Amino acid sequence: MDVLHIYQNNYLIVLAFLLLGILLPVVALFLARLLRPHKPSKAKYTTYESGNEPIDDARVQFNVRYYMFALMFVIFDIETVFLYPWAVAYDKLGIFALIEMLIFVFMLLVGLIYAWKKKVLKWI
Amino acid sequence: MMMQELLASQPGPVNFLIFFIQAVALLLIVLGFVTYVILAERKVLGFMQSRYGPNRVGGRLGLLQTFADILKLLVKEDTIPDKADKKLFILAPGFAIVPAVMVLAVLPFTEHFHFADIGIGLLYYFGIAGITTLGLLLGGWASNNKYSLLGGARAAAQMVSYEIPLVMSVLGIVLLTGSMNLIDIVEAQEKVWFVFTQPIAFIVFSIAAYAELNRVPFDLPESENELVAGFQTEYGGFRWAMFYLAEYIYAFAMSALAVVLFFGGWQPLFPFLDFIPGAVWFGLKFAILVFGLSWVRATWPRVRPDHLMEFAWKVLLPVALANIFLTAIAKELIQLF
Amino acid sequence: MTGEFIAFMVLALVAIMGGVLLLNFKNIIHSVVALVFTFLSLAGIYVLLSAEFVAVVQVLVYAGSITIILLFGIMMTKHKATHTEPKSTWKKILALLGVLGFAAAFYLGIYNLDFGAEQVPLHANNTEQIGIALYSKYIIPFELTSVVLLVALIGAIVLARKDDNKEADDK
Repeated sequence: MDVLHIYQNNYLIVLAFLLLGILLPVVALFLARLLRPHKPSKAKYTTYESGNEPIDDARVQFNVRYYMFALMFVIFDIETVFLYPWAVAYDKLGIFALIEMLIFVFMLLVGLIYAWKKKVLKWI
Repeated sequence: MMMQELLASQPGPVNFLIFFIQAVALLLIVLGFVTYVILAERKVLGFMQSRYGPNRVGGRLGLLQTFADILKLLVKEDTIPDKADKKLFILAPGFAIVPAVMVLAVLPFTEHFHFADIGIGLLYYFGIAGITTLGLLLGGWASNNKYSLLGGARAAAQMVSYEIPLVMSVLGIVLLTGSMNLIDIVEAQEKVWFVFTQPIAFIVFSIAAYAELNRVPFDLPESENELVAGFQTEYGGFRWAMFYLAEYIYAFAMSALAVVLFFGGWQPLFPFLDFIPGAVWFGLKFAILVFGLSWVRATWPRVRPDHLMEFAWKVLLPVALANIFLTAIAKELIQLF
Repeated sequence: MTGEFIAFMVLALVAIMGGVLLLNFKNIIHSVVALVFTFLSLAGIYVLLSAEFVAVVQVLVYAGSITIILLFGIMMTKHKATHTEPKSTWKKILALLGVLGFAAAFYLGIYNLDFGAEQVPLHANNTEQIGIALYSKYIIPFELTSVVLLVALIGAIVLARKDDNKEADDK
């Protein structure tokens, strides 16, 4: 039972920090609201564009490059997720686990090299 | 010792209240740190560039300069551009600051002064810290400003690219320790610090950490002379302060994490020096790493964006992967002989 | 009413609210933000179930990276908010019946489900237990995962390059 209590108490601490993290900006912005002036004028609410009148909407279509990097990120993020339990349990698993992981990483390295050769990793 | 009893007791509202008060105490310490590290950084930069730095408010050393700055931010008028997405504009700084506060929960400072002692400590840090990226991207998008959108997208692309080598570099340490619990990791360094057994990991980790923190030389998302502070252009007053604060809390947390992972946390340099308390050791190592942040800022030029992205994938990632397997093979060899 | 129960109710409520808002928001970026809250509260529920490793993976992979790829994907495409409400009431009634039937089937399926008693406490050495199970018992599925990931990566690159080439041709 003790182990469970320690587990629960530790996550209670995490909850305390979550609550604190939410309270910090709320309280700070509330304080600022009490103190700051409010004198609206039209020019104050225009978008900044180096002194020019803003042209068009800023939300242009993004280059596909950003998406490719995000995709690589997802793939390799999942790889790290597999690597962590492997590293933690390695002492109990031995050399076979090492070979298994080498095969796994090799497959993904093939993907990385493919992306490299196809110039996906190039940022222009 | 009292903390151990508390952790073993039946969880309930009283426990929560105690934890919350402790968390507030830690946050106050961190806020004090942030206030003075901003001043210290400006002083160090001034010294390295042969000028004085802040020297008017609060005596010759400018000891009250940051407080004056905070006061100024507090009384600034709040403007949200008409074209901006108002709800997201207000929510985005929250996505940056809440994870920044949450990562503090797992950092152990000394043997007795630590908070959440969870089994997944290390991965918790990276998982939670990753959410901040969303705050920057959403802030940039919500502003509906060209500089902001570009800055936000750049910030997100950079932070996701460097998160992979960052997370992978420390796997060698997990292999040697057999645990992701940060307290276990410190205790595993009683004889020798991991900076000596995992030097490659330390180099990869430092580079990736600077990029994650958006610090010079990787401060492209907020480069003031091209992107007018990037995703923060339209933010002002305390909304902007939340982004800034998150950045410096991460500077605190990342330096503390580096001390824990590579420099043995509260462990002394040599065993015979253990009459010096652990808190002093931690503070000393921590201060050196934080000074490094300013030092690098004063001496390094900004990296080019194309070099930046390619470096993460073509150099850091393969090196980090190689380090993992080198560590595993070394472990096997040591077992053989 | 234990603390665990309250925590579960709050998390479940946030998760469901996130899902409902995801469907209801007209602005697609707002939908993604609603989805983030669902992901995060699911992570909280995993913590309640003593599956801390799964929880942190939920945060790292779903809330952290899947959301980023969704956002970049949305920002990459042109989208006009043309939204039309379904007009026929018959369709609405049918949808309602479908939802109720699904809920009933799920309820019946889950209510009497018994996994047997827990053999080992999950909250101690959670990650290690997963590691041992994954790399001794489930090696084949694990290795197959790498194939799936590789196919996903290469497939996406092929598709994106095609788009890129078309763009270059247009210019």
